[in-house]
Amino acid sequence: MAPYVGFDTEHIRDKARKDLLHLLEGVRGKKNLVIERSLAGPVGVIVNVSTLHDYGVDKFFVLENANADTSQRNVVFMARGECARHAQAIADQIKRLQRESQTGHEFHIFWVPRRTLVSDRLLEEAGVLGDVNISELPIYFFPLERDVLSLELDDSFRDLYLFKDTTPAFLMAKALMGIQSKHGLFPRVVGKGDHAKRVAELLTRMRQEIIAGETTDEANQTGLTPSNSIESVVIIDREVDFVTPLLTQLTYEGLIDEVWGIQNNQTDVDSTIVGAPPQPPSQSASTTPNPSLASRKRKIQLDSSDKLYDGLRDTNFAIVGTLLNKVARRLQSDYESRHGSKTTAELKDFVQKLPSYQAEHQSLKIHTGLAEDIMKHTRTDQFSRLLEAQQNLAAGADPSSQHDAIEELIARDTSLAEVLRLLCIYSCVSGGIKSKDFDHFRRLVLEGYGYQHLTTLHNLEKLQLFLSRSSPMANMIPMPGAGPATGTKTNYTYLRKQLRLIVDEVNEHDPDDIAYVYSGYAPLSIRLVQCVLQKQYLFSITRSNVAGAGTVAGSGAQGWRGFDDVVKHARGPAFDDIQKGEDKAVKARALLSGGGDKKTVFVVFVGGITFTEIAALRFIAKKEEGNQLYSPLLFLFV
Amino acid sequence: MEATNPTAGWEKVGEHFYRKTQLYTAVFDQDLDLDNYIVAGALYGGAVAICRDETRIVTYRPNQSAKPSIDIYSCAGKLLKSIAWDKGSVKGLGWSEDEKLLVVSYDGTVRCYYDLQGEFTQFSLGREAEDFGVHSCRFYDHGMVALLTNNTLVSVSSYDEPRPKLLATPPEGEIHSWAIIPPSFTLSRSVEVLLSIGKTVYVVDATDCEDRFLDIGPFTHISTSPNGKFTALYATDGKAHVITSDFQDRLSEYDSRSQITPKYLQWCGNDAVVVAWEDEVNVVGPKSAVTSFVYEGRVHVIADHDGVRLLTNDVCDFVQRVPDVTDEVFRYGTESPASVLLDAVEQLENQSPKADDNIQLIRSNLVEAVDNCVTAAGHEFSVHWQKQLLKAASFGKSVLDIYNSDDFVDMCETLRVLNAVRYYEIGLPLSYEQYQRLTPEGLIQRLINRHEYLLALKVAGYLHLATDRIYVHWASAKVRTGAEDDSTICRMVVEKLAGKPGISFETIARAAYDEGRRRLATELLDHEPRAGRQVPLLLSMEEDEIALDKAIESGDSDLIFFVLLQLKKKLTLASFFRVINTRPAATALVESSAMLEGDNILLKDLYYQDDRRVDGAGVFIREALQQPDARTSGDKLALAAKLLSDSRENNFELIALKEAATLLRTQEALGRDLTDSFKGLSVNETLYKLIHLGYSNKAKRIQSEFKVPEKVAWWIRLRALVAKRDWNEIEEIAKSRKSPIGWEAGNARLAAIFIPKCTNLEPGAVITMYEKCGMRVKAAEEAVKARDADAWVRLLEVVGKNTSEGREIERLGTQVFNK
Repeated sequence: MAPYVGFDTEHIRDKARKDLLHLLEGVRGKKNLVIERSLAGPVGVIVNVSTLHDYGVDKFFVLENANADTSQRNVVFMARGECARHAQAIADQIKRLQRESQTGHEFHIFWVPRRTLVSDRLLEEAGVLGDVNISELPIYFFPLERDVLSLELDDSFRDLYLFKDTTPAFLMAKALMGIQSKHGLFPRVVGKGDHAKRVAELLTRMRQEIIAGETTDEANQTGLTPSNSIESVVIIDREVDFVTPLLTQLTYEGLIDEVWGIQNNQTDVDSTIVGAPPQPPSQSASTTPNPSLASRKRKIQLDSSDKLYDGLRDTNFAIVGTLLNKVARRLQSDYESRHGSKTTAELKDFVQKLPSYQAEHQSLKIHTGLAEDIMKHTRTDQFSRLLEAQQNLAAGADPSSQHDAIEELIARDTSLAEVLRLLCIYSCVSGGIKSKDFDHFRRLVLEGYGYQHLTTLHNLEKLQLFLSRSSPMANMIPMPGAGPATGTKTNYTYLRKQLRLIVDEVNEHDPDDIAYVYSGYAPLSIRLVQCVLQKQYLFSITRSNVAGAGTVAGSGAQGWRGFDDVVKHARGPAFDDIQKGEDKAVKARALLSGGGDKKTVFVVFVGGITFTEIAALRFIAKKEEGNQLYSPLLFLFV
Repeated sequence: MEATNPTAGWEKVGEHFYRKTQLYTAVFDQDLDLDNYIVAGALYGGAVAICRDETRIVTYRPNQSAKPSIDIYSCAGKLLKSIAWDKGSVKGLGWSEDEKLLVVSYDGTVRCYYDLQGEFTQFSLGREAEDFGVHSCRFYDHGMVALLTNNTLVSVSSYDEPRPKLLATPPEGEIHSWAIIPPSFTLSRSVEVLLSIGKTVYVVDATDCEDRFLDIGPFTHISTSPNGKFTALYATDGKAHVITSDFQDRLSEYDSRSQITPKYLQWCGNDAVVVAWEDEVNVVGPKSAVTSFVYEGRVHVIADHDGVRLLTNDVCDFVQRVPDVTDEVFRYGTESPASVLLDAVEQLENQSPKADDNIQLIRSNLVEAVDNCVTAAGHEFSVHWQKQLLKAASFGKSVLDIYNSDDFVDMCETLRVLNAVRYYEIGLPLSYEQYQRLTPEGLIQRLINRHEYLLALKVAGYLHLATDRIYVHWASAKVRTGAEDDSTICRMVVEKLAGKPGISFETIARAAYDEGRRRLATELLDHEPRAGRQVPLLLSMEEDEIALDKAIESGDSDLIFFVLLQLKKKLTLASFFRVINTRPAATALVESSAMLEGDNILLKDLYYQDDRRVDGAGVFIREALQQPDARTSGDKLALAAKLLSDSRENNFELIALKEAATLLRTQEALGRDLTDSFKGLSVNETLYKLIHLGYSNKAKRIQSEFKVPEKVAWWIRLRALVAKRDWNEIEEIAKSRKSPIGWEAGNARLAAIFIPKCTNLEPGAVITMYEKCGMRVKAAEEAVKARDADAWVRLLEVVGKNTSEGREIERLGTQVFNK
């Protein structure tokens, strides 16, 4: 048996890179790469453009633009196999190229993450199946950070909740299965919510199918015994807690996301804010068709390779200014230190450090620029109005007191997304809106932003985000004191108290609770994770509000134990499965790897996660580092 | 067995020994004249296919059927299958690495017989081949290249998904001979073809054709070595050349001094070349060293990975280079530790004390000696010497204190398997090295293909391998050929396979279905645990609804889509909807894909038959948005409204739609009157624009028409006027009425004028507003009025005590705050 190693996202990155480059190598000579738009960013996380050039990629095209030209003999398409539209688009382009070009072409398709029957069928119907070489590029997870993996499905929320298309859940299960087959079964699967349950069921099913499959030989046995480098997996369905992502994120990273949006660890910012890029990037001309447009925007890489950013990203924005100031002062004194250096050795030392100072200086400049611009944004009257209304609603203030504020925001032409977020929080927290008010708000939105948003509102209704109390779906919402109807809708009024979602005194400089990420509101989703991982802490802060607490707290209870009642008040089924293997194999495994290693907990969000939630999870991970045997590892799934 | 000397068949070729091992005798029927047949053998001691060589005339025999056939024999000459061939002349006969028989006909039809039992898949080499015809073919481990009569080359790189591709066009001229280098050994990772044209050799791959500039041709034979590094060329003048495959180095040359063109030029391992004429076989090593074997009758040479098999009517021989370890143990006069150890065992059997002397002699190298004996045993074909060597190893390791016996045990197991399959009734003469490359799984597959289920099971059990494939194959064969009725067979199969892990009932069911036993297929399919696997078969069996259910059960949306695609094509829309209606997961997928592809017609029908009025109206609204002019979008909106009009629940939507239509009309009218476009604006935006353009009255009319709340309207008016910088107007309306919204949001400088007009403001807010306007004195005044000492001090600090402003502020404050 191979030596057993812990989980590392770098492995996933390496494997993905190797797979991709291997496939590219298989296409002889220069080639044009036609890539699906939503894949371009994620692939950038794995390999950079210059590496692709090294492997013979000449020009890049976006599949959706349908502008691939005939300059190279080899044309490589790269798209997600799950989506039937792409097969059609590729077939159309192949036909176009064949028509337009005098010379013959070699067509290759790399399906990510798998080749599907449907795509084959569509290519066949289009009559091009015989002309293309098809390969699979099995990348499920894109490693964004050392502790974050993502499927990078942009539309997963829409697919899952509005269209009720469960493909993302299936892909997630597949991806988790990949981890299981490498590292062993998750010994425990805990979760909450319909889709979370679906993922867990799919995992069980896939496992059975593997057992039923061709794995009776010894070699593949690893996948079927519980892992001892993984403690458990916690799967949370986004549906359980819609309010958290609706609130404005208040960490530094969260606000960057709110203001400019972060995609694949990158954000596009006007270069007037952060200054022009230090040197003209040499490849940009070939990658972007319109350089003049590109020059105004600057792409900023936001990941942990930037030490400064790594320190700032998860802090509350309120203290970012102070921190930046501190760094600036330190840097200054570092620079100054050259005056103090007397011997040549000291000077040499300084010169050696100079590049790192310069890099830091550069990043300091960027982040000061960003922070200033965010500040401009947060200082506006509208922003503070919005935030105030949000926080009042989340804290459980009488919603009707916020009517004026909402009305004003609409009249002042605040962006539709913000207004709708506010209305949805209103509806979610108070279990629907009175039908008179509901109609009033709908009217305001339609008049303010156009009647076409009738469909938008209808969709929100379908998602149960924005409901009238009289609507049939709202009836399922358990109102305070309306009896123990549970599990159909998240009851914030109840959970706010039981899980202490509102923490009034937040120390933003040295936070002691996850509530700091929203300046006073602790995300419900993360509280649920704490129900599994940080029972004792949670008991201490909720002061045994929960009936029958205390007894189970200390005894190393697992799963939802101790919080069963509370969890019932959130939407969707809760589950707690234990995956066992043969005893013999478990023992052998334990013997081989030796105990004592830190175990990993996977936290999986189906349907997306916010940066603030990641920050909160990291906060938990840090807290638990010292006293427990595991360090949580996060997954997001956008 | 008689203990012949192990070195009996050894011949020295250059520095190395080559040995000829007789594998089987009495191979073919004496009536079969091998001279008239094309013979092709599979790698790793695989089956041999023969078919009549049509260029030769055969004596007519009345008792023999005249029908052309391709016969597959084992190496021991056991007829495995005779395949009737009806596609005209055979232009290519070859094997893939996994023992699939490929037969290519003149018109480019390729049949891939994948199981030795006559089952085949078929594909064509394409138009070019049909037009010009195939001249000859070359095969490699999982692909092939065909040479057409017009000198074009067609390559197929995979038999699972055959994609015939034309290679670069070679130059004109007669091709004397040709060979290929498999893609795994080329730099380009595409197959390369060596063509002898004129005096030189051309190398052709997918994109290029290069001349290698040789002047020693033309060549009658070209052959590349098993590791792809070397190429052997046989020129018409009887000289054989060995060069590296990149044509950089000429390694050796051998003059056969023969006028007759040889029949075969093949590599024997990577060090020697076999040149074979009718009945003489020469093994040519480096530096022109040569040894020859002479047979009675025609010899066919079958290249294998580590040697060649020689096939005549009487015998099947294997010629290979003597493996190094074997050489070390047996070479005459050797004193290697292993040979001493072997000798020690003989002494032991003779109960001679020399045995111990021998051991003492090699004491320091004993581990090496044991290892070598074990390995040498593996390379040995004779059971006697295998035993002897293993005994030696066993004896040697008994003397050692610590020795890891894993290799020894493995070798014993391996040899047992090898000897079992070498038995003439099975006829798989695997050498140890071939077995390593074939892998135990590959061996099992070969046994299954020969229907040697019992042996396969035993071997699999012995080597701890998966047995499911064997069972499945057995069951598939059973349902294909079993004469019993369906339920008996099903019971039999299920009983036999119950409790065995990993059984794919789907495969068995497919076999049954292919055989036309539909009921049996359905019954068997019920036992398949993997829902996803059942789907394609169910579809082909036209069990559409079950297929859909199974696909949904598997959770794999690809499968669901696949079934839906099929159903949609097959069924009428109404029955299609009937099928999906009861299955929400399927409906959701149909809906979402239609939404994404903009298939509005399907969506409308779907919503209509499902009575989802609001969704249906949504489609019309989206369509309305895409309309180029107001009139057509109005029509669409009317359609949407009509959909909703029947039920009372949707009153709000109905009103909204009517208003939307009104807005469109109004905007169009405004557009005409004011020669400015209002298209696409919302009510609020329209108001804003009107006020901005100075049409306050029109704006008022719209406000009342759409019942815009007063507060909202005020905000819009204010924003518009500020943007227009129409301060007079602002002052005007400020004077005339009391504002419901307060005045906080004005322009900084002018706002100051309005601050006193603000009502309902906290005093603190007034201070900050003045401050924002830069009027600190006024702010201080307010601070004093509000008795807000803190604000006052703050202001003072900001301004500085020594400026004129500062003094003024100080003056204001000191009286009140007594400072």
